Amino acid sequence: MMEKPEKLIVDGKRLDGREPGELRPLKIQAGVLKRADGSAYVEMGLNKVLAAVYGPRELHPRHLQQPDTAVLRCRYNMAPFSVDDRKRPGPDRRSVEISKVIRDAFEPVVFTKLYPRSGIDVFIEVLQADAGTRTAGINAAAVALADAGVPMRDLVSSVAVGKVDGTIVIDLTKEEDQFGTTDMPVAMLPRKKVITLLQMDGHFTQEEFEHALALAMNGCEQVYGAQKQALRAKYSTKPEEE
Amino acid sequence: MLHVKNRELVIPGQLIAEGGYSTYGGAFRDGNQVYSSVIGLVDARGQDIRIIPLGGRYVPRRGDVVIGVAIDSYGSGWILDINSPYAGNLFVSDLAGRKVDLDRGDISQYLSIGDVVVAEVMDVNERMRVHLDASGPGMGKVRGGKLVEISSAKVPRVIGRKGSMTATLQDVSGCKLKVGQNGRIMIWGKDQKMVNAVVEALLMIEREAHTSGLTDRVRQFLEKIKSEGA
Amino acid sequence: MKMYEIISSVKRDYIADLARQNKRTDGRTLDQYREVSVETGQIKSAHGSALVKIGNTQVLAGVKIQRGEPFPDTPNSGVLMVNAELRPIASPTFELGPPDENSIELARVVDRGIRESETIDLDKLGITPGEEVWMVYIDLHALDYDGNLIDAASLAATTALWNIKKPQVEGWTLDEFPVSKKPIAVTVSKINGKLMVDPSLDEENVMDARLTITTVEDGSICAMQKGGAGYLTVEEIKAAYELARAKAAELREHLG
Repeated sequence: MMEKPEKLIVDGKRLDGREPGELRPLKIQAGVLKRADGSAYVEMGLNKVLAAVYGPRELHPRHLQQPDTAVLRCRYNMAPFSVDDRKRPGPDRRSVEISKVIRDAFEPVVFTKLYPRSGIDVFIEVLQADAGTRTAGINAAAVALADAGVPMRDLVSSVAVGKVDGTIVIDLTKEEDQFGTTDMPVAMLPRKKVITLLQMDGHFTQEEFEHALALAMNGCEQVYGAQKQALRAKYSTKPEEE
Repeated sequence: MLHVKNRELVIPGQLIAEGGYSTYGGAFRDGNQVYSSVIGLVDARGQDIRIIPLGGRYVPRRGDVVIGVAIDSYGSGWILDINSPYAGNLFVSDLAGRKVDLDRGDISQYLSIGDVVVAEVMDVNERMRVHLDASGPGMGKVRGGKLVEISSAKVPRVIGRKGSMTATLQDVSGCKLKVGQNGRIMIWGKDQKMVNAVVEALLMIEREAHTSGLTDRVRQFLEKIKSEGA
Repeated sequence: MKMYEIISSVKRDYIADLARQNKRTDGRTLDQYREVSVETGQIKSAHGSALVKIGNTQVLAGVKIQRGEPFPDTPNSGVLMVNAELRPIASPTFELGPPDENSIELARVVDRGIRESETIDLDKLGITPGEEVWMVYIDLHALDYDGNLIDAASLAATTALWNIKKPQVEGWTLDEFPVSKKPIAVTVSKINGKLMVDPSLDEENVMDARLTITTVEDGSICAMQKGGAGYLTVEEIKAAYELARAKAAELREHLG
């Protein structure tokens, strides 16, 4: 078990040297899986997350079909080896809740009415976890949906914000999440700057909350830049010359 | 006012233009702005803006010619998989081109599960029920040949402007092609080497659909294969 | 399990139009709760219990305190567990079976409100370090679902905890059950651009999105959860906080 470090903020910088508003190293690749209609791989710090989209496709069983819209389904799952203490395979209550809030984060952007009676399935697999897995999962899923050609009003960009030693910081590491007081994942639509995922546990005064939300949205903008780059990179390869 | 160049690559949520444009394909309006909903290439002509998508599943439209595979049958017809979230319905009378007496033996004499069919989409209702007809010229059960499946979004590139790409593929390879809007393509040819070359060429088109000079590169590729030995 | 019902477009438009005029179908103002009633201590087999009614919605919370094993990283602290049952008795849209995403979310949101505010001093609930501690089980039982289960469940849970006093359980050595705060969840829903508290069933089926904010007495936030298929602007989120803080203070008065 980790010992709580004496200080989490030293001279205004975090344990890994970051500023409060700085993201961990972020890597995003689009189109990494063959069988899925769309896919993406994201590394946020030590998080390694894979997202795949299947659909729109026929939805079974029949009674789940919606006559005028596609049904968006999301499944967030952590691999047993993704965390220090092996996690038993299968959905646990946390994964079920996270799957739900991630689906609700994408409902406002996907043009589901264009594909009545079909299903659009989003699978998020956490291969290695270091806090912020649901935000990494959302960032990957957004790129995977775009990669699959699923029409969307915008991408969705996400980052978590929290409070350690009284300082508001974004993109917390496992240590900061564990020894800090607050964890607030946020997902934003970059174009309109509106919020589609917002959860919080811990302690915020009203002022702290408003500051945290603003810092989180700034972090989401930074993620958005990387998502755009990843999508363009897939199509920027020059054709082979004979 | 256009904010991007024609043929520029755009991503979902990207601002394309401001003003009273008409939007088609992957472009949508939000207030006075036009945005893209998919990854694609901007195709702006006058007051019309459309996005040529670089991916996405096939959604059947009336008039499309598609290549389907029979996956189920019932008394009076078959369900065809048409590489879409929506299956196609083919009645036996729309395959035979005439009314068929359903009491006279079962319909598998016309088509079996697993058979490939070229058909036209006659109608898609708002419940996305797809009605196919395979009795027209050049349609019906497929015999022989090689079936290739690519992303349906790349089919326009396989056809080319005024059919130029398909013509190039056929002329240089000596094979015959049938291109379905749903991303499936049938290739027939006596020379197996050239049939395989066409398959390679189709995969090249799928990979490089967003680039220019593709028709020339495909022609060069096929001619190189053709000239390599007998 | 579908937790929504097919709602006619006529009803949907009607509710949306009323919202534009700052009105609601039952005549409430946007910042008004339905009638709230709280009764405590009915369940003698539980160490603490509370029945909360908000309009027609009813949730019964029962707290049971038992001995159990601590978590390895907190060997001398008690354990809090919150569970919710949305059984068919409460609604034709609830089905039998393992907890679905709605009951899991409900339990976890109520749990966060209590846990993150440190309402229960779990450190006082150790018995034998590393071996035995007091487990606090809060079970939320929905009896009638007519919208806004979360607020009813949260109020019921907090009230039930304060109802315990000194639990009648063998080996209990403390004076009173160590509860110190009163976290209250307030759900604000958004319909046609308007924010309204305590959504009725119809309003829940029509709303764009909802934001549940749990606050304690000094107005600080201990839990938040956005739900629904829509989005919220920053202004709406800030306004929702103001509503939540004010309404939590009102609801808290039911605790006495």
